[in-house]
Amino acid sequence: MSDAATPTPTTGSAGTPSNPLGEAWRTLRRRPDTIIATAVLLVFAVMAAFPQLFTTTSPRSCPIREARTDPQGWGSEHPLGTDALGCDVLATMVHGVRPSLLLALVVVGVSVVIGVTLGLLAGYYLGWVDYLISRTVEVFLVVPLLLAALLVLSLFKGVDLGAGTFNVILLPAVVLILFGWMPYARYVRASTLEAKNLDYVTAARSLGASDLRIMVRHVLPNAIGTVTALLPTSVAGVISAEAVLSFLGIGVRPPATSWGIQIEQGSQWVLGGSPHILLAPLICLVATVLALVVLGDALRDALDPRLTA
Amino acid sequence: MSAVTRPVPNGASGSAPGAAPSDVLLEVTDLTVEFRTPDGPVRAVDGLSYRVEAGRTLAIVGESGSGKSVSSLAVLGLLPDTAHVARGSVHLAGTDLLGLSRKEHRARCGDQVAMVFQDALAALNPVHTVGYQLTEALRARRGMSRADARRRAVELLDLVKVPNAKARVKEYPHQFSGGMRQRVMIASALAMDPDVLIADEPTTALDVTVQAQVLRLLAEIQAERQMGLVLITHDLGVVAGVADDVTVMYAGRAVEQAPVVPVYTTPAHPYTRALLRSIPSSSGAGRLSVIPGRPPNPAAMPAGCPFHPRCDAARDVCRTDVPPAAVPAEGRMSACHFAADIMAGRNPAADDGAGAADGAGAVERRDRRTTTGDEATMPTFTDTGGRDD
Amino acid sequence: MGRYILRRVLQAVGTLLLVMLLLHLLTTVAIQLNGNPAQAFFGDKIPSPAQVAAVEQRFNLDDPCFDQVGDPCLGPFVERLGQYAQGDFGTNLRGREVSDIVAAAAPNTIRLFCVVLVTWLALGMVLGSVAARWRGSPSDHGIRLTSVLIDAFPVFVLLIVYRYVVAVPLNGWAERTFGENSWPPYWFKPSFDPEHPWATVVVPGILLGLAGSAAFIRLVRAGQLESYQGDHVRTARSKGLAERHVVVHHVVRNSSVPVVTAIGLTFTEALGGAVITEGLMNIYGMGGVLWGAVRDDDVGLVLGIVTLLAAVTVVVMIVVDIAYALLDPRIRYE
Repeated sequence: MSDAATPTPTTGSAGTPSNPLGEAWRTLRRRPDTIIATAVLLVFAVMAAFPQLFTTTSPRSCPIREARTDPQGWGSEHPLGTDALGCDVLATMVHGVRPSLLLALVVVGVSVVIGVTLGLLAGYYLGWVDYLISRTVEVFLVVPLLLAALLVLSLFKGVDLGAGTFNVILLPAVVLILFGWMPYARYVRASTLEAKNLDYVTAARSLGASDLRIMVRHVLPNAIGTVTALLPTSVAGVISAEAVLSFLGIGVRPPATSWGIQIEQGSQWVLGGSPHILLAPLICLVATVLALVVLGDALRDALDPRLTA
Repeated sequence: MSAVTRPVPNGASGSAPGAAPSDVLLEVTDLTVEFRTPDGPVRAVDGLSYRVEAGRTLAIVGESGSGKSVSSLAVLGLLPDTAHVARGSVHLAGTDLLGLSRKEHRARCGDQVAMVFQDALAALNPVHTVGYQLTEALRARRGMSRADARRRAVELLDLVKVPNAKARVKEYPHQFSGGMRQRVMIASALAMDPDVLIADEPTTALDVTVQAQVLRLLAEIQAERQMGLVLITHDLGVVAGVADDVTVMYAGRAVEQAPVVPVYTTPAHPYTRALLRSIPSSSGAGRLSVIPGRPPNPAAMPAGCPFHPRCDAARDVCRTDVPPAAVPAEGRMSACHFAADIMAGRNPAADDGAGAADGAGAVERRDRRTTTGDEATMPTFTDTGGRDD
Repeated sequence: MGRYILRRVLQAVGTLLLVMLLLHLLTTVAIQLNGNPAQAFFGDKIPSPAQVAAVEQRFNLDDPCFDQVGDPCLGPFVERLGQYAQGDFGTNLRGREVSDIVAAAAPNTIRLFCVVLVTWLALGMVLGSVAARWRGSPSDHGIRLTSVLIDAFPVFVLLIVYRYVVAVPLNGWAERTFGENSWPPYWFKPSFDPEHPWATVVVPGILLGLAGSAAFIRLVRAGQLESYQGDHVRTARSKGLAERHVVVHHVVRNSSVPVVTAIGLTFTEALGGAVITEGLMNIYGMGGVLWGAVRDDDVGLVLGIVTLLAAVTVVVMIVVDIAYALLDPRIRYE
């Protein structure tokens, strides 16, 4: 989780001071809030990878007579109680992490790759390449992400894709990528335009460096800061979008569970005396998003000095 | 030629050009400005004193970072939040501005003292028309009516010789050329008829030919209105035709203050001398000399005279003692241990000679006016022109 | 200026056509992969082929291209554009005109967005300005913390908590305190009441506005900080203008340009948020209708509303561009 947000530092303590990511990393390491946020994210990452560590109960064993048991505390059979169907809340919650996180990482990862590539091409070559890409961005921007997702997912609701780890998130992933790559393209295009006219880029070009080399070695590093600062908040955005889609029954597909599905079921029972069914996944969702936002805020600070307090 | 120098404890009091004190409009005394930095306070201006009289022009000359702009921001109370005036006073028409509240200080700006900024494109607001900006203060502070303000804006543009003023007041700054924009800047500073105008590098961003026009315009307006004008510049070349007095600043301090003519003919500080040599001459003969090294970092000032690492006449005393303000001639000030020597066009005695500090030796008269780099190591057996310490 | 607007409008019409083509292609692929959406009309009942054919014809799905995967089906697209041009946006599964539904639902969405806009501007301008003016002060840090916290609660979470946890007790408290027929109980009604459209839309609107306001606060703060450091602000001060005048005419005025751009971009996000808000709070607005349509598998209605909302977005973007040009003369005279 945090690996995606903060690029792994390649240099140790004696890093190159000119590398903005390295410097950002050094700033971040000293802030307690980012350390806590990273720890929270690590816990959820481990939960996604090894759910057995957190619960031995299967989320699929739901004895209906145990429905809506109150939380019994750690060590008992149902530490967080059971939901309306008798499924263990903790087990459902723990097993719901994987699809949400996987979806978020896949969506953001692929969107960044698409967006950065197209933004770089548009900003570097301008002309018809830029016209084509910019108009495409414009067209996709007109349809708000959530509306597009609602439309496409309800269109494809009946398509059967199987129940593998990737299959359950495939449709939402495709839609969220299809309508989510534009911001990166816009940011990268802008900073490419800026970087292109810098003296050292002109110098590299006059020395006969190839376009690809200039883009990768000189222009991209300039743009990467802004994009990196966007990552944690984008991951958070996808996680909450997934919750909404699952709430509507068109996100992660059953039998896989997700926090959104759990929240939908739990919301019915808050006033029926079982608020824990709603609160447990809701708190997890807020904790994850908060950790990501804190990290994003710190990154923005470290990478974008204009906004620094 | 051997003028007796004595330290002047309080800046300009003994060194300002002779003029009736009643004419003094702006008097800056011992102004010291400090910036807060993570590594502790840093002095950007250190003990600067000058005075400006009605109808006269004072040029403040120095490299970028010498504190010349910061000092004028301090006069107007526009220092950034990280800076503050640590010492000194700024008297404007008899009132100490620094003793006033922020609001009262602000109220004197524009009205009594106005400022022309360097980069007119940035200094004018891009989203308001030129007419609005010219008369903004008149409308907001003096309650001038919209119609009167428009008339006044046209008058002001006419005054600074912007052609077709009537149409151009409705335009925006980005529609003006660089020179015209600077004229607008000047007009907006003149809107409230200030007594003192501070022009901070008003011509730096302009072409040479336009520079001359703008300077001439400033001089004309100043003469006509008998304003006091402070002209801040890094270019000693532009000063000659316009200024009456010159203050040369280096590393936050005034190193030489004098009427304009003697500064050119007999500079009394090695820095001034070096600056003069680095002005390209119209004849184009000879190599242009440069001042070696770079200005000191204000956070790490060298001991002694701040100029000594770059000075071609530095002696041992320069490396240890901060030079006091000397008066090498009537109405002149030079912060150099060897002001009289420099003014006389000779180099101070070398350190390894007899008794560099006994202050009574004969003066070796050499007629070489140009000093070369190796001169500092040349053995001479004479002392400086009677410095007492 | 006139030419600038004309150019933007023409460009927007082109964009909108492309958007409709995109939506059409998505629908076509879905129908080709997914089978006939006309089936949804019958729910669990098994219709006769004649019934299916009748429904297909009604929804313009009778073209054979819908049976061939990969066919872009441009014929029906042109046909549909013609219908859109005549104001015919199709019908829902029960045969009601989409345009009628929208006409009934739009006022509530507009009410919601009024509240949202006021919330954005109030929170963003006030908190952002305070943070910029007293940069580095405790209030700046507090405001910054607030904006991080706001970001951490997606509008979905805020509304779930409000609707299922907070609203009912609040409503009860308000009824006890102010009496049943006073205004406050309506503010906290957990669902929309068409008889009191404004009162019941205020709290959901504030919550939706709150969710978008963090970006505003940050943007206003950053924009104003940049202005405060600008040379033109120093010039204004050197004219002896009062600080309040400087802040209003030179700081806030200049930073309004990026803020207006942000309204445009945040608007599309807020449209998504409006779907969640109206859906969860049962507000009979465009978003609420869309939410219901997704739940009922009413694909025709979903497509109609998404197309309309895309058109609205395009219009908002034009308005933003014009406002942008009005606020920044450098754009206007390009």
